[in-house]
Amino acid sequence: MSHDHESAGRGRLDRRRFLTTAALGGATIVGATALGGIDADAAFAAPMPSLDPAISKSAFAEGRITAINGSVLEVAGSYGDQHLIQLTNATSVWKLRPTTAEEIKVGDGLYARGVDMPDGTIAADAVWVNIVNLFCTVQGIAKDRLHLTHGNNHAVVGRIVAETTTASYLGGALTSDLSRVRIGQSAQVLGAWRPDDDTVDIARVTVGH
Amino acid sequence: MISVLTSLAPLLCGGLLAVTGAAKLFGRRTAQLAANTVLVRVLGNGHRATAALRTVGAAEVLIAAALLAAPEAAAPGVATALLGAGFTGYLAYARATAPESSCGCSARDEGPIGWRSFTRAGLVVLGGLAAVAADRTWWSRIDGDPLPSAVVVVVAAAVLLALSSDLDQRWLVPLRKLRLRLFGTPLGRPPRGGDARVPVAASVELLENSLAWQAASPVVRSALLDHWDDEGWRILRFTGVYEDKRGARPVNVLFALDLTATIDNAPAPAVRVSVVDDITEEPIDVGHLTPVLRPVLPLAG
Repeated sequence: MSHDHESAGRGRLDRRRFLTTAALGGATIVGATALGGIDADAAFAAPMPSLDPAISKSAFAEGRITAINGSVLEVAGSYGDQHLIQLTNATSVWKLRPTTAEEIKVGDGLYARGVDMPDGTIAADAVWVNIVNLFCTVQGIAKDRLHLTHGNNHAVVGRIVAETTTASYLGGALTSDLSRVRIGQSAQVLGAWRPDDDTVDIARVTVGH
Repeated sequence: MISVLTSLAPLLCGGLLAVTGAAKLFGRRTAQLAANTVLVRVLGNGHRATAALRTVGAAEVLIAAALLAAPEAAAPGVATALLGAGFTGYLAYARATAPESSCGCSARDEGPIGWRSFTRAGLVVLGGLAAVAADRTWWSRIDGDPLPSAVVVVVAAAVLLALSSDLDQRWLVPLRKLRLRLFGTPLGRPPRGGDARVPVAASVELLENSLAWQAASPVVRSALLDHWDDEGWRILRFTGVYEDKRGARPVNVLFALDLTATIDNAPAPAVRVSVVDDITEEPIDVGHLTPVLRPVLPLAG
């Protein structure tokens, strides 16, 4: 068992080594742009006409996972619709951080973007599990959590996850320094909801915007 | 002191139940509150849940009136203890089956069910039992021992306020602010000297604002799949589809950035981009991947 793990780990390292060499051999492009990305919070971004004609064929699904059959997720949509989401080797999985399909559990919420297949499934390019995006007010700060309220004074506990939770102040770069969050501030919290105890693991808290 | 507490229990329980009961019975937001409770699922719809919540409120008001008017009778105390036991059971059921639901205990309490709700329900049970044991009416007790009675009432009111989230804004938030001012933030600062590691999210943020990202975006299909650090570089792996004359093939899109660069210190980041065929593992020449600059729209006026 451990031997398998070791060889799997070594295989992964070898592959990363190979990909590093390939990455560093690539073309260098210098410069910045104001165009956004397709990562985590982009799951909520307004649809933007894509430069790629293929992207306009993208399918989108959201809901709660009711069953997992191998690499197919059965998803009950919020409006009574049903989706079958096919995961592939090329599918990115986000659950608080980039992770693997093993982390997905029945009962989790999901947003998925992919391509409609002829058999009615959606071949997912990217899935975001339990992702939430809340506009809150900071009501309290403790060592491992932020007490927040959102909407109609609804209390939410935001957990601070070591080496994962980041903060952005006044539009600055994301940093692991959370010490500048203040009580009373408005904050946008991007994180992963935990169905077990109804708290939110914070991926990113944006204040002073 | 115990006998002061038992004889004042009808007053304290009566006061609490009168406030929470009246708020449920007459509150304008009862319907809104009921919609967030587990009652909706149990009773089938929001109207029934609202009616149930108002009925409970009416029962609370009746029991409160009985407690206040006939403090020496056993029946109101027993009814209070039963009501408290019912609350505890309801909370346990709601917590087990729908932890995200609101408790609906007091008119403005919208938080999820937590230890405060359970403690309050437990205190209603204890208060009811204490009221059964009352040997004097609360008004004769206040008349006889004004000072101990005042202490008990003030302490009990403080405990009940602390157990309700309705007034947190008034006392808890200022208290937390004061604690932060006195003792500083409990959240650790990174070590001085800029030794803090740049979080992966910051590298992704930098990448997504780069020209390299814009150039590669027609190829990229996934979100961030994997990342690792190697010799001062941070490698970010995405997957995508590359189309050329030979057709479409699955590819890995790799970006290499300076490990320490963020949008703060690298306004024009240098990003290495490469596309590797996922099956043959051959690098694909992407020399012609040129950024498509979006035309700047004319400003009005």
